[in-house]
Amino acid sequence: MFEMDILLVLIPALPLAAAVLTAALGKHLLRGQSHLPAVAAIALSCLASIMLVFQVQGEADRTAGDTERVGCERIVRLWTWAAVEEAYPQTQSPSDAPAETAARSLQIDVTLRADPLTAFMLATVTFISLLVAVYSIGYMRGDPGYWRFFAYISLFVFSMTMLVSASNFLLLYVFWEAVGLCSYLLIGFWYQKPEAAAAGKKAFLVNRVGDFGFALGVFLIWTTFGTLNFHDVKIIEQTVLVNEVPTPSTTLVPDRYVGDAKVLGQKPGVLGQTMLKGPGLYEDLYRGLYPDRWQWAATAVCLLLMLGACGKSAQFPLHVWLPDAMEGPTPVSALIHAATMVTAGVYMVARCVPLFIASEHALQVVAVIGCFTALLAALIALTQTDLKRILAYSTISQLGYMFLGLGAATLVGVTAGMFHLFTHAFFKALLFLGAGSVMHAMGGVIDVRRFGGLRRLLPWTYGTFLVGCLALAGFPLLAGFFSKDKILEAVHGQTGPLYQVLFWAAVSTAFLTAFYTFRAFFLTFHGEERIPPEAGHHAHESPPSMIGPLVILAAGSVVVGYFSQWIFAFLEQTPSLAYGGVPKEAPGGEHAAGGLVVGVSIAVVLAGIAAAWLLYVGRRALVEPLSRAMDSLRLYQLSHGKFFFDEIYGLLVVKPLEALAWLSYFVDRYLIDGLVDLCGLLPKLLGAMLRPLQNGLVQFYALAMVLGVLVLIGALLI
Amino acid sequence: MDSEIALLHNYLIVGAMLFGIGTVGFLSRRNMIVMFLSAEMMLQGVSLSLVAWSRFRNDFGGQMLVIFVIAVAACEAAIALALVVALFRRSGKLDVAVWQQLREENQPPFEEPELPEEPSEQPPAWPSLAPAGLLPEAPPEQTDYRSHV
Repeated sequence: MFEMDILLVLIPALPLAAAVLTAALGKHLLRGQSHLPAVAAIALSCLASIMLVFQVQGEADRTAGDTERVGCERIVRLWTWAAVEEAYPQTQSPSDAPAETAARSLQIDVTLRADPLTAFMLATVTFISLLVAVYSIGYMRGDPGYWRFFAYISLFVFSMTMLVSASNFLLLYVFWEAVGLCSYLLIGFWYQKPEAAAAGKKAFLVNRVGDFGFALGVFLIWTTFGTLNFHDVKIIEQTVLVNEVPTPSTTLVPDRYVGDAKVLGQKPGVLGQTMLKGPGLYEDLYRGLYPDRWQWAATAVCLLLMLGACGKSAQFPLHVWLPDAMEGPTPVSALIHAATMVTAGVYMVARCVPLFIASEHALQVVAVIGCFTALLAALIALTQTDLKRILAYSTISQLGYMFLGLGAATLVGVTAGMFHLFTHAFFKALLFLGAGSVMHAMGGVIDVRRFGGLRRLLPWTYGTFLVGCLALAGFPLLAGFFSKDKILEAVHGQTGPLYQVLFWAAVSTAFLTAFYTFRAFFLTFHGEERIPPEAGHHAHESPPSMIGPLVILAAGSVVVGYFSQWIFAFLEQTPSLAYGGVPKEAPGGEHAAGGLVVGVSIAVVLAGIAAAWLLYVGRRALVEPLSRAMDSLRLYQLSHGKFFFDEIYGLLVVKPLEALAWLSYFVDRYLIDGLVDLCGLLPKLLGAMLRPLQNGLVQFYALAMVLGVLVLIGALLI
Repeated sequence: MDSEIALLHNYLIVGAMLFGIGTVGFLSRRNMIVMFLSAEMMLQGVSLSLVAWSRFRNDFGGQMLVIFVIAVAACEAAIALALVVALFRRSGKLDVAVWQQLREENQPPFEEPELPEEPSEQPPAWPSLAPAGLLPEAPPEQTDYRSHV
């Protein structure tokens, strides 16, 4: 059995090694076998992650009765990345005590953490990645960039596993950017395609906006809390060699590295500080220093972090990049833009829930943004005709659900949000890979108006896609039902009119979700069989390496819902959630409403599916007058045009910036270049002035020489 | 000693006269051979003053230098006269002003070419695209070409 530390290091290290190996050898040596290192590394990572989950569970069981240590948290410190002494300003009463000096120093360690939340995310990410990597073997076969694809995928898995296991904000930010980079590389994988290149650029730039907010949030965390660590550290005395002379010094290490060193004090991490009960060291040091700041700093930090999460998780107002990201290869859409990377924002907010709870309104903002995005994306998805884009909007919508769950500000809400992340990873990866299988058979056509009735042609895809659709719609007894229901319950359980509005908005979103999911499903697989000419005569079911992951994911989409109790109990052992900063239940909320919520949720799902069946299978004649009615109200255009966000942003952001770019171009072209041209013109003019002297008459040159010599002699004589 | 100085004066005066006459001749005549002779005369004027100084200072370095100068002048005369002959064969004249323009009559004058403006970039013709997903079929020479990266 491996130690937890080794597992935690192996999980990101293996994909990194595979990425380096594939990048170095792929083009010339591995070529068609480039998938081997990536798949092997991700499979081992997945195995390690699952072992880590069980070890974390075992550790948590051991400390179950302990009041000192709640849950399981294991910090692995690899090396110190940066250390600045006296980085934090002096307090009102400056002191030279070593403990306080050390407390003011900035020390950034490369630390990984293992706790239930991280282990859970690691297992989800690596498992889905493994299936998608296997699927890609079949899907990407024969592509000229085969090795490049698997190098990027390994790099992505490395970045994502580091992101979820990082234990300080700076490291989190670094890998936050790294997954953004991988996303950019993979969206623009077919860089010869102008659309793909533009989509990659758009995703990167929209993410920059969010990342800028995130960076500001990290700065504000530093100035507010005086640390960037999630975990608490002890200040210990150690001896270092200065010019070969042993000199006493202080350093900051996580609890388990203290050993028998003398402990001078402690420095709680960001999450620890938000949960401090009495006045601790930091109460004196920092809160006492800026009493007012504490009030607004927590809210400002949370809103800035939420802006970062909006960018990465494609929430309103930064959701515009995700649908365009579908230009990438379909496995990428499944892996990065549906199942894993886009959940980074959800993970980050879940990680920082104690921080969000410390602020009065931050979680309400999260809930409102999530719910609004969920509804908006569902409305857009109603009329889209590109199968992958429908799924992309449903991803945005489901991510909104997750944020809504986190925003419910209770333990059950947070865990429900994370559980929805887990189940969503399964069925959304399944749906995307199924869409990829359809595309594969249809010769690259993905417009649902151009094919139909594929259920006999693609029986495996049909069956698995149906399971995915049912799970996404939240059909009873499938994975999506359990997680969505928990979120609805959590929101319903929260008091206040705001949450009641959010609840009903979420219920209507559930109806829309069921409707648009089955609209896409019926249009693709039911009705008369239509195959576009691009498919040629070889429209066929996909190879086993593509069907296998589909079947596994479909099985997962059915069964993972039944692990909800265990997963909830597991996640609740996360120290940051378990210390009591997060209320178990909403104060004064009604708990007896479970039955009502389940009933409403089942009813709307069935209504949604029935409506879709009626319109797209039963009586297609109804579609025409309905869409005409919607057309006359301009609602159809509004939805089909994606609420014109691209146009609005184009007008408000892109056009002014373009104008600025033109202005800069003209300043550069005519002002700066003018000056440079002037410099070039001076020697030219000088040359033109001196050119008549070169008249070709030997006597003239000789005379000039003689006169010059005379002048020299004259100068010497004088 | 006085006679030595007087002797030096005489030689220096003759040397200076030779140099001056040579200079004036070089500046005023256009016949290439005469110009060459004038230049030689200047050279000999200088050589003469060198020899005189050498005699005066009892240092044979100057005389050695003059022997070298004469040797070099002989070589130079061979080259210079060869050039004169070559130039004469081309133009039929010994007038140096004939060579004021080195460009031949039937050659067009050289003009500095204007730098071209920024090259206009024609976007390559792309194949028609699927709305999302698969790589479109395109010939490799087109896909390998990237106007921007």
